[in-house]
Amino acid sequence: MITLSFFTDLFTESFMQRAFLAGIMLGVLAPLIGSIVIIRRLSFIADTLGHFSLVGISLSLFLSYSLGNEIFADKPLFLGIFFSVVGGLLIEIFRRYYKSYKEISMPIVMSLGTAVSAMFFSLSKKTGSLYNYLFGSILTVTDYYIVVIAVTMVVVILLYLLFFRQIISVSFEEGNAKFLGINLNFFQLVFIIVLSVVVSILLEAAGVLLISSMMIIPVAAAMKVGWSFRSTTIISILFSELSVFLGLWGAYSFNIPSGATIVSVNILILIIIAFAKRARLAAAKKRSKQDALPDSRQSL
Amino acid sequence: MLIDINNLTFAYGHKVVLHDLSLTIKPGDFVVVSGKNGSGKSTLVKCLLGINAVSNGVIFFNHEDINYFKKWTEIGYVPQKFDDFNYEFPITVSEILSVSKLHKTPEALKLKLLDDMGILENMNDSINSLSGGQIQRVFVVRAMLNHPRLLILDEPTASIDRKNVEYFRKTVNRLHAEGVTIILISHEQSLDELDYTHELHLDPNLEHTYKARPVQPPTEDIA
Ligand SMILES: Nc1ncnc2c1ncn2[C@@H]1O[C@H](COP(=O)(O)OP(=O)(O)O)[C@@H](O)[C@H]1O
Ligand SMILES: [Mg+2]
Repeated sequence: MITLSFFTDLFTESFMQRAFLAGIMLGVLAPLIGSIVIIRRLSFIADTLGHFSLVGISLSLFLSYSLGNEIFADKPLFLGIFFSVVGGLLIEIFRRYYKSYKEISMPIVMSLGTAVSAMFFSLSKKTGSLYNYLFGSILTVTDYYIVVIAVTMVVVILLYLLFFRQIISVSFEEGNAKFLGINLNFFQLVFIIVLSVVVSILLEAAGVLLISSMMIIPVAAAMKVGWSFRSTTIISILFSELSVFLGLWGAYSFNIPSGATIVSVNILILIIIAFAKRARLAAAKKRSKQDALPDSRQSL
Repeated sequence: MLIDINNLTFAYGHKVVLHDLSLTIKPGDFVVVSGKNGSGKSTLVKCLLGINAVSNGVIFFNHEDINYFKKWTEIGYVPQKFDDFNYEFPITVSEILSVSKLHKTPEALKLKLLDDMGILENMNDSINSLSGGQIQRVFVVRAMLNHPRLLILDEPTASIDRKNVEYFRKTVNRLHAEGVTIILISHEQSLDELDYTHELHLDPNLEHTYKARPVQPPTEDIA
C-alpha cells in the first residue's frame, strides 16, 4: 500500500533523509552524464562498467568475510569505484584494439566482471547481499556513501561547467575536435574515468542491472520534448528527480528494491511522453487539415 | 597560410585517386578546386587535413610537415557531408555556434555571419529541424567564426539556393580581401563572381592542371 508515513519518516528518520539526499544528488548526476552517453552512443558502456564495478564490491566482501581484513568491510564502494575505472580502461584498450568492431570490448569486459564477481561472492559466502547490488537499495545507504556522492557531484559539475564547450562539441562531432584544439584521446579517457565513477556510485541506488536505465531513460524522454540542448538537459533532470522521488516512495511503501521502482517510474514517464507527443502530432495534423479544407474547396 | 604539396599520391586500397600532385599555395591565395564528381577533390582536402593518412609525398603548412603540424585551430573546415554530426539530440544553431567557438567572438559578428548566410531567423531552431542547405550554412558560419587563417570549403553551395549563394560569395570574397587563404571546392561552372586567384583542375584520368587566373578587366566601375 502506498503509505503516507513516507512523508513523516522523511522528516524524522535519518535513514530516510540519507536516502532522500542520495536520491536528489544521483537524480542530477545520472542524466547529466547520461545525455553525453547517449550522444556519444555509449549506452552499453554504462552497463558494462556496472558489472565490472561489482568485482570491487565482491572483493571487498571477500576480503572482510573470508580473510578477516576489515578495511573495506562496510565501505565496498571504494573498491567498486576502483574496479569500475579499471573496467573503463580495459574497454578503452579493447576499443583501440578492435578498431572496426569497437563494441566487442563490451561483452568481453562485462563477462569478465560478472565471472570474477560471482567467484568472490561465493567465496565470501555473502551471496545474500548480491540481491541488493543487482537491484539497488537506496534506503540502506550510509553516511560515507553520501559523502562520496557529494564529492563526486561537485567534481562532475565543476568539470561539466569548466569544459562544457569541449564536452558538447566533441560529443556531437568527434571529427571537429582537432579544429578546436581538443585532444580526442585524452578527452575520451577522462570521460570514461568520470563515467566509471558515476556508474559505481549509481550502483548502490539502482543496482547493476538498472544503472544504465537510470542514466539514459530520463534523457530519452526529455529528448522528445526538449527544443535545445539546455532545455533537454533541464527536463531530463526534472524527470530524473521525479522518478527518484516517486521511486523512493514506492520502495519504502512496498519494500521493493529502489532500482526497480525508480526505473519503473522512468519508463512510465517515457511512455506518457511518447503518447502525449503522438496525440499532439495527431491534433496538429487534424488542425492543419481543417485549415487546408476551405482552400481546397476554393481551388475546386 | 603557406601550403606546399610535394609529389602527393593517394590511393584507397588499390584505387589511385591522386597521382604525383605538386603545388604551392601562398598566403592569401584563393584556390578553386574543380573537376568532375569522383575526381578526388574531397580526397585532396582530407589529405591536407590529415583525415586521410598520406604515405606517398609530403605536405607542408608554413614549412612544417603536417604530420607534426599543431595549429589546426587556425584552419576552418566545412566538409561536403556532415554524417559525423549527431543530429537526433536537440541542440540549437546558437548552441552549436557557442560551443564550437575558440575565442570570445563578439556576438555582433556571429549575428552578422548568420545574417549574411540568410539563417539569422533560424538561430534558435533545433538543428534537426533545418534543411540540408541550412545545416550547411550553419557549418560555414561555424568555420568562419573562429577567424581561420585558412578556410577550406568542400562544395559549400551544393544545396544552397540561388539567392543565398550570392550572400555566400560576398562573404567568401570579403574574407579573401581580409587576407584569409581560401581553398574552395566546386564542380559548378559559375565561378566568375568569386575573386579566386588560382584554379586547380582535377581529372579522373589522374591528370591535373594548376594555374593562376587570367587577369581580367576590373568589374567595378571606376568612378
Ligand atoms: N573512403 C573511401 N574509400 C574508398 N574509396 C573512396 C573513399 N572516398 C572516396 N573514394 C573514391 O575516391 C574517388 C574520389 O572521391 P572524392 O575525393 O570524394 O571525389 P570528389 O570529391 O571529387 O567528388 C571516387 O572514385 C570515390 O569513389
Ligand atoms: Mg567531394
